[in-house]
Amino acid sequence: MNRFSEETLMAYADGELDLVVRAEIEAAMAHDPEVARAVERHRLMAAQVRAAYDGVLDEPVPERLATLVASAATAPVIDLAARRDGRRISVGPLQMPAWVALAASVAVGLFVGILLMRSPAAVYEAVEGALVARGALDQALDSQLASAPGDSAVRIGISFKDRNGDYCRTFHLQRDVSAAGLACRSDGSWHLQVLAAAPAIVGELQPAAAMPIPVLHAVDAAIDGEPLDPAAEAAARDAGWR
Amino acid sequence: MSTTTQAEEVRAQIGELLPRLRRFARVITRNVADADDLVQVAVEKALARAAQWRPGSRLDSWMFRIMKNAWVDEIRARRRRERVHAPEEAGAAVGDRSAAARDIALSVQAAMARLPEEQRMAIALVLVEGLAYKDAAEALGIPMGTLTSRLARGREALQALLGSNGET
Repeated sequence: MNRFSEETLMAYADGELDLVVRAEIEAAMAHDPEVARAVERHRLMAAQVRAAYDGVLDEPVPERLATLVASAATAPVIDLAARRDGRRISVGPLQMPAWVALAASVAVGLFVGILLMRSPAAVYEAVEGALVARGALDQALDSQLASAPGDSAVRIGISFKDRNGDYCRTFHLQRDVSAAGLACRSDGSWHLQVLAAAPAIVGELQPAAAMPIPVLHAVDAAIDGEPLDPAAEAAARDAGWR
Repeated sequence: MSTTTQAEEVRAQIGELLPRLRRFARVITRNVADADDLVQVAVEKALARAAQWRPGSRLDSWMFRIMKNAWVDEIRARRRRERVHAPEEAGAAVGDRSAAARDIALSVQAAMARLPEEQRMAIALVLVEGLAYKDAAEALGIPMGTLTSRLARGREALQALLGSNGET
């Protein structure tokens, strides 16, 4: 048995050791075939693992990823955090990065145009660095249950309590464009956490099934426990989401 | 650097890193579709938080850390949704190579897929991405000692799995 631990020999093979230990190992390798074999085994393993995944580097990058990092002028991601000079939306004591991701879509320009302009139909507006639900969206978040008939412009997905004990609800907007998002209740209004372009809901498809990934992630990051069941949802609404 | 300039800098650098981010995602998710979803989520997060990146520090380690955290969140969420994950799907394209090299690549991928998450991440960063132990430990948010022990245990397990399929 040689006097070097397996971890030391591994670190040597990975080029991690300082000169002194390296010299000691090289001396040992010269007259102890066991040490030499152990180092060789580590090197071979490293080369094989690396080779097993090298093919990925030669694959073309899918367009949906490439467009994410295209220059700002054409970027599909609307970075509200950066627009506000890195200030963050405050959701009670919990600080969440405010990121609103809009998936690449021809609808994006139209969508931003409709929603960000303060038209009478605007469904949110910026208030003190936060995006607050307005109009039909605010109304639906306040009063509509997930079980409501699906012919309205806003459908509610799941409702839950976040880690601050505030209520949050996912929603699906179907106006000129289709979008989905998450809003949480604080200081008496609904604060948008994320809004993303979403596939249009057709027929009776449940909103939860159509939630874009950024919304699902925002839910996962915020949720405390399980979503509210229909009875708890109705009770929370009747109590004014307090 | 102004926020806007930094955001543009981060965006440009992430663009160059995309092939490596996809490779790292492929190792840790073991699945092509999950891997690209993970890259997308991580890139969106990184762009939204571009102001938090320290200029001069390694952007790749920073991205790997965001990806690792996003993946850990995703796994937790899946467990909550009780969605079953199929781990054994062949992860990476093995490309144009000799049949022997392809066989080795496929058995290495299969063996990697069976490692515990934490060992696979350590191996992905050090052996596949070539990060120094220090940078890998930082990306994973763990002490160096923990990293080396995960690496050693992961390698040992790989050796056992690959050795039992016949020596190469």
